[in-house]
Amino acid sequence: MVDFDPTIINKVFEHTDPVEVKPEMIKRFCESLGENNPLYTDPEAAKKGPYGGIVAPPSFAVTFRNGRHFFEHVPRYGKRGFDAGKDVEFVAPIHVGDTISLSSHVKEIYEKTGRTGTMVFVVIRSTLTNQNNQTVAHIDHRFMNRP
Amino acid sequence: MTTTLDLHTHSEASEDSRAPVEAYLNWIKLRHVERPVDGIVLTEHRQFNREADYRPLEDKFGIMVLRASEVETNYGHMLVFGVNDDMLARFDFANIRLDAQTVIDEVARMGGIVVPCHPGRPNIGLYEHYESKPPLEHVVAVEALNGGSRKGEDARADELISKFGYASTGGSDSHLVSLIGLCATRFSAYIKDIDGLVRELKTGAYEAVDFRPRRKVVPHAVAVETR
Amino acid sequence: MKKFDEVKIGDTLGPLELTVTKDQCRAYAKTSGFGDVAGRFTDEAAAKKEGLPGIILPGNMSLGLLSKLVTDWIGFGGARLTRMGTTYRVPVQPDHALTIHGFVTNINPDDRTVEIDVWIENEEAERLVTGTATVEFPK
Repeated sequence: MVDFDPTIINKVFEHTDPVEVKPEMIKRFCESLGENNPLYTDPEAAKKGPYGGIVAPPSFAVTFRNGRHFFEHVPRYGKRGFDAGKDVEFVAPIHVGDTISLSSHVKEIYEKTGRTGTMVFVVIRSTLTNQNNQTVAHIDHRFMNRP
Repeated sequence: MTTTLDLHTHSEASEDSRAPVEAYLNWIKLRHVERPVDGIVLTEHRQFNREADYRPLEDKFGIMVLRASEVETNYGHMLVFGVNDDMLARFDFANIRLDAQTVIDEVARMGGIVVPCHPGRPNIGLYEHYESKPPLEHVVAVEALNGGSRKGEDARADELISKFGYASTGGSDSHLVSLIGLCATRFSAYIKDIDGLVRELKTGAYEAVDFRPRRKVVPHAVAVETR
Repeated sequence: MKKFDEVKIGDTLGPLELTVTKDQCRAYAKTSGFGDVAGRFTDEAAAKKEGLPGIILPGNMSLGLLSKLVTDWIGFGGARLTRMGTTYRVPVQPDHALTIHGFVTNINPDDRTVEIDVWIENEEAERLVTGTATVEFPK
């Protein structure tokens, strides 16, 4: 079994500084994905929508990055790390003008074998909150390491 | 009377699937014309759930649900059919470094059968291991068709099958509801339970069947560098 | 705008055929702060040095495209994508003909949610990224 210090599980190792969501950020994000849903791109149309104005597409939540402490605290097994997948719970929409901060902890570490060899999975859970301290999203990042 | 079973499936009990068994059965009912399977075998990763009882679901949908396991060995992943208490006591199913020959021989001695799956897949399939290690003994069948195969993986399985004379099984290796039943195994006998399945698997009287849709050819895109 | 009562198990989303350009890939990497971190998303030579066939899409971008399939299906409505889970099986490359598929696999009338399978396929019908999504309709 893979060796790790069990006390690392559930320990919050990072709180990032709040990042303000500017209209250009959502605009650039939408452009890169070819997004054209008026809910996310058309301020006038979005006013008549369920959120009363432009919100970010749900997947915008995954672009909030953990800071410089992140990779110092994510246990590494071997030299190469890959993003193996995500599980994202979109709790509330992100609006223009929101300030978003992240808090992250190690959720789980496990091992299995696959196409590319023995793999150690490290699951990091990041929780996004807005300026009102409301949870916006939970993101489980599954990082795959090859020993 | 023949029996067609998807011998390789993962439900939400496997850590990398979210598919409920009921949704699988509902999907088979919905797609019965394209994927005419009589039942599925749940082969959850590195575990066997002794207590799980799918009888109410079997009755509701008229589709058989049997249980097996997918374990990880030094020759790749293998499906273990006919799991019993003796095997659970003998092996730690969660161990990702089981000795393949021991598993094959001990499972057979305890009344079950082991079928190496996706043999053409890098690292976790027999083909690659046979290039550096002696072939395993007492292998009856390998999975010839796997619904999750990448290009060339099933072809490598075929190579192994012709060379060693293995019997061929098929399974979807489904982790998503909508991918259930894409590959299966057609038995020449009527099978009604796990004992029947183990008995038939040992005979070799079955074939892998492919229900994957024939796909229109998608032309490769032309690369445009505009930077 | 998608209505809960009209959704049936087996309904399809897409399929959507698309090709992501290298510039789109770089633009996405840049908006999500990857630009200066990992050359595998922006720089052909750096990607090849890592043993990749060339630039690949960030996993998050695949998640974004799969999410877009679902939010396009919802349309300009009150239903919301509340969960998306992805598995990155094979790297997704720009300048390849990709097809994005989706199927409604389950409906839960009690909480008015719908479960959806989604995946990205290449020209060889290999599933590169698979995922599942949950959509919640207004009560």
